[in-house]
Amino acid sequence: MQSTNPRSTAAQEQLAVFVAANPDVTLALVTSSDGFEVAAHPALPVAQRIAAMSSSLQALSEAIAREAGRGRSRNLIIETDNGTILVLGIPNTTPRLSLAVIASGSEVLGRLLWATRNCCVALENNLKSQLK
Amino acid sequence: MSNEQELKIVFTGPMGAGKTTAIRSISDIPPVSTEVDNTDRAACDKDSTTVALDYGQLALEDGTAVRLYGTPGQERFSFMWEILCAGAIGVVLLIDGSTPTALEDLRSYAQVFHRINPDQPFVIGVGRTSSEDTGLLDRYAQSLAASGIVAPVFDVDVRKREDVLLLIETLLCILETQVPGTEHAVH
Repeated sequence: MQSTNPRSTAAQEQLAVFVAANPDVTLALVTSSDGFEVAAHPALPVAQRIAAMSSSLQALSEAIAREAGRGRSRNLIIETDNGTILVLGIPNTTPRLSLAVIASGSEVLGRLLWATRNCCVALENNLKSQLK
Repeated sequence: MSNEQELKIVFTGPMGAGKTTAIRSISDIPPVSTEVDNTDRAACDKDSTTVALDYGQLALEDGTAVRLYGTPGQERFSFMWEILCAGAIGVVLLIDGSTPTALEDLRSYAQVFHRINPDQPFVIGVGRTSSEDTGLLDRYAQSLAASGIVAPVFDVDVRKREDVLLLIETLLCILETQVPGTEHAVH
């Protein structure tokens, strides 16, 4: 269940803007690195499970990157039969937060990645201002 | 069962029970870890927590490779429990004996993992116990038996290699009694 603290509210507003600008996005959520839902739009019951799963996947992608000696994992991209799932770390958040995005099949991957990266930067700035 | 086989054993239990430490204590390779910062200090006061899996390997004297998988402890990661239990020959269930919920944890985790695969044998390792409480392990075993699950219970310090190896050895002994001809030697 997402929290109602100012940080979550700010993140949720940012996610609503992102989803409105990207109609193929069916769910966008901010998660803590240990699998908690921080904010989601729309507020779907499945968001809690997706939050836990995305943190597991991200931790595994980082383990693979470490094992392969390829530095830190930046983006996690899952292309499915009819959609795309992205998990991106939100820069400069401690403890680390991530943005998970689920989009339907018609979204072009490059455009979705670009929009999601921009959303991460906006979330970073938004969350930073909440801490001031 | 011939030599140079591969076996898979799953370490599970609540958050903070010592799964990551146990695998680290016996793995022949540097374990693969997926620990991240723990933001839920109310649930468990520790700095980090496993969110996907731990992975280690242990070579037995007869050449058998044991693949060691640790699960995340929290219920929100239960989807990983089923994934990790696929193909496992047994489960090591670790319980933190110092918590007031230890008996309840034992029953609930044993029931969930028994449901995932009813044929998998269990071994229970209880850590951080008080040495003065001599009847403690019996109470754990009885509590488990009341849930219809029979499993040996050991007082362990998961930081000690010999304690964790005892759990593995016991699991392999149970397997041998279930499937004759599966003798393995732990070193």
